[in-house]
Amino acid sequence: AKNGTEVKKFKRFESYKRDNQLPPKVRDLSVVVDTKNNTVVLPVMGRPVPFHINTIKNASKSDEGEWSFLRVNFLSPGQGVGRKDDQPFEDATAHFLRSLTFRSTDGDRYEEIALQISNMKRDVVKKEQEKKEMED
Amino acid sequence: MAAIESFDGIYLDLSTSSGKCRFAETGLGWKPAGGGDTFTLDHEQIASAQWSRAARGYEIKILSRESRIIQLDGFQQEDHDRLSKIFKNWYSTVLENKEHALRGWNWGKAEFGKAELSFNVQNRPAFEVPYSEISNTNLAGRNEVAVEFSLPSDKNDTGTNGQLGGARGKGKKAGAGKDQLVEMRFYIPGTVTKKEVDGDDA
Repeated sequence: AKNGTEVKKFKRFESYKRDNQLPPKVRDLSVVVDTKNNTVVLPVMGRPVPFHINTIKNASKSDEGEWSFLRVNFLSPGQGVGRKDDQPFEDATAHFLRSLTFRSTDGDRYEEIALQISNMKRDVVKKEQEKKEMED
Repeated sequence: MAAIESFDGIYLDLSTSSGKCRFAETGLGWKPAGGGDTFTLDHEQIASAQWSRAARGYEIKILSRESRIIQLDGFQQEDHDRLSKIFKNWYSTVLENKEHALRGWNWGKAEFGKAELSFNVQNRPAFEVPYSEISNTNLAGRNEVAVEFSLPSDKNDTGTNGQLGGARGKGKKAGAGKDQLVEMRFYIPGTVTKKEVDGDDA
């Protein structure tokens, strides 16, 4: 970066341009991981809602009695942990969706989904890192 | 136009089974394919109607005069013109085309409509939540609002007593599908008080 100081910049991204790009599996009103498009599609009141991996902080699975829970945490301002919040946002004054929690009786599936999301996140961060090293 | 227009493979209020949706001048009806009770809506009950992409196909979302949201999903894209005419000629209602946000962003504006909360990304809704499905809201932290959904006790609890092909009654929509929405949290930036700002700088 110039002047030796590094300022993280917000880069725009997009999951889909048209609704016919949504994976066919959204019919089931279930969570769909679309690795090809770096997107997780989450069902909200019968509507498939895409979230780009760049908006996702992490995903975790937990159990409580007969139910398993999948919690997807999104990036939003004011979450800086242990250090200054240096995550760039396009508009920090906007409203942000911070998390969505689902439940299901199929815990193995949630385990798998949480892993897929973590892997997708890891791969994207790695690619970003490689790109930066190439530019330097 | 025929006296009755009929569409197959339509899901009413996130129902488990599909059914036949029929439109007539007096109103509309939906009957599960396997038979059983019929849902009807008088044309005078239709306050407004929207056409959007949903899970099963294209959806007609009707806002009733009683501020109830009725979802009919599973239409084909090419049904649009026919349905648009039905609503215009028989119900004097514009079938409003509502494109949803597909960018995959988690920031925008939460707006409160007549019957639902809408989260808009660049002036397009990413999703909507009918107020009837919310069981509780609370301030979970500084600038954080948690919205909890009412969930049925089991998958057969649809709020329609097993009738209407598993269509979801009031307060039961979050229970549709194998992944049931339990909670959503929003970050709403508030006004930071002068004192806090001073404190940070000190």
